[in-house]
Amino acid sequence: MIDTVSLDPNRHVPGVRRPGFGDTVHAEWVKFWSVRSTFWSIAMLFVLGAGLTVLVCATSAEWLASSDADESPAAFVTWGMMFAQITAVALGTLIVTTEYGTGMIRATLAASPRRGSVLAAKAVVLTGTLLVAGTVTAFAGYLGGNWFLDREGIGIALSEDGVLRAMVGSGLYLAGLGLFAMAVGLLIRHTAAALSIVLALVFVVGNMAFLLPGSWGEYIAKLLPGNAGGGIATPVSFNPQLLGPWTGFAVFAAETAALLIAAYVVFRRRDA
Amino acid sequence: MYAATIRRQARRHAHHTPSAPPGVPLIAVRGLTKTYGQKVAVDGVTFTVEPGRVTGFLGPNGAGKSTTMRMILGLDRPTAGSVTVNGHRYTDAPAPLREVGALLEARALHPGRTARNHLRWLAVSNRIPERRVDEVLDLVGLTEVADQRVGKFSLGMGQRLGIAVALLGEPPVVVLDEPVNGLDPEGIRWVRTLARQLAEQGRTVLVSSHLMSEMALTADHLVVIGRGRVLADCSMPEFIAEHAASHVRVRTPRAAEGETLLRGHGLDVARTGDELRVQGLDAAGVGELLGGQGLLLHELTLVRSSLEDAFMTLTADSVEYSAAMPQEAGATR
Repeated sequence: MIDTVSLDPNRHVPGVRRPGFGDTVHAEWVKFWSVRSTFWSIAMLFVLGAGLTVLVCATSAEWLASSDADESPAAFVTWGMMFAQITAVALGTLIVTTEYGTGMIRATLAASPRRGSVLAAKAVVLTGTLLVAGTVTAFAGYLGGNWFLDREGIGIALSEDGVLRAMVGSGLYLAGLGLFAMAVGLLIRHTAAALSIVLALVFVVGNMAFLLPGSWGEYIAKLLPGNAGGGIATPVSFNPQLLGPWTGFAVFAAETAALLIAAYVVFRRRDA
Repeated sequence: MYAATIRRQARRHAHHTPSAPPGVPLIAVRGLTKTYGQKVAVDGVTFTVEPGRVTGFLGPNGAGKSTTMRMILGLDRPTAGSVTVNGHRYTDAPAPLREVGALLEARALHPGRTARNHLRWLAVSNRIPERRVDEVLDLVGLTEVADQRVGKFSLGMGQRLGIAVALLGEPPVVVLDEPVNGLDPEGIRWVRTLARQLAEQGRTVLVSSHLMSEMALTADHLVVIGRGRVLADCSMPEFIAEHAASHVRVRTPRAAEGETLLRGHGLDVARTGDELRVQGLDAAGVGELLGGQGLLLHELTLVRSSLEDAFMTLTADSVEYSAAMPQEAGATR
């Protein structure tokens, strides 16, 4: 059975294309979609993001249409995306921490020694997936939720201010959040620790920071990643203190970029 | 014209020494050093792994074998020194899996991925044709379980998958870190045969182990390492001649007389009762000297200490944690 081991006749034949960045991305794509956690996370993203939106719209439509309502119905059509964030954080963390947890990072870097390419390929696969999944989920939630709002006469047209931006913004925000979590994962290299840090930062610290006194406290709260980036994913925010959607997203993108650069520098120098 | 070039190259490949011209070493380790804080894991290691033979990389646990292998593959950054594979750094290879195949740790796998998918992403990353995935699965005997998640695999199956990974790109250089770990006797024999055949095909094969007995059956050449330093770098026969000390055991009723006689010829002799332990001459020589004086011999044997003993002696100072021998432990009680 040994005779199948023969020297690769293509090895030095001119004209055979060398593997490039596209092949690294393809390999990461195969890796990403060949574990069950990816399917579960994407399924959860949809169930939470679209399902909870529809549910909350169905149960709140009557109240929102009444004179007691003190919230804009537009804040409800992306309600579930707040929870879908968790799955984006999980996917972003797992795409690197599972490699460290299992030792597979060595196989990855032995196959693709250019570490910048590996990081970029992971980023392409992750953001591509989250951008599509986030946008599709936001649309599904809007369509389902708005059906209930429409029945009460308070439906929001897609053409209304900020609605379309919130749909695409949901994709953008989840993609950004995934990258943010990936960068933290690469710095920490430990699934539970990285997940806890990002979730705590986005959900707990982000909300508590509004309790900080004075105008500097308000600024810190506004600039925290979840608060800055989240605004783009909803037509009207529940929180009036946030930065404008695109300003906030620019701040969030800059924070994510800074973290990614730090992670890249560490990743390049570190022993695998 | 193209076809002629390809044919010429194919012929050269079929012959020997896949990528480098004959005589050029394929793995060159030069003054390689790795320190972690105060601890020196690899200390100025220099050796060459040549094509067409199995080079055994032998040392006790913690001697620096795995660290050296990780540096060969560009995974760990050397503190000093250099490693080249096929004349360049591993990380500069355009398609590294087609140049060097490595088995690092058996468990560098995601438990939730199937064996086939694990090989598929590796093949894709280096533009290795996907039919090669089925070939290596067949080669290591995992075809039937190819679509099972590797988390269910036994240690031996994981090890076979690791070897499939190493052979995926049909590389001219193969690096196997402790390949027989966790394998059953049949699997161990299979790995030995595989390593030998890879070398016979003209490939450069580096196999690490902490077991001398394993190396004795597989390796043509030995690099022995202890506490991060090269203790021996020689062929297997040289190692045996140099390190496996031998003596001649003689039993004779006139042992005291024999002792004086042999000492007179400048030999190193130790006597216990009627038994002599002679070093410095082979059995025939000792027999002739004693027989020439009419001494009656009850026994004349060449005793060679085992390779295992030789290895233990050589690395005695470099074992990190050693257990007291049972009888010593008893004596101190």
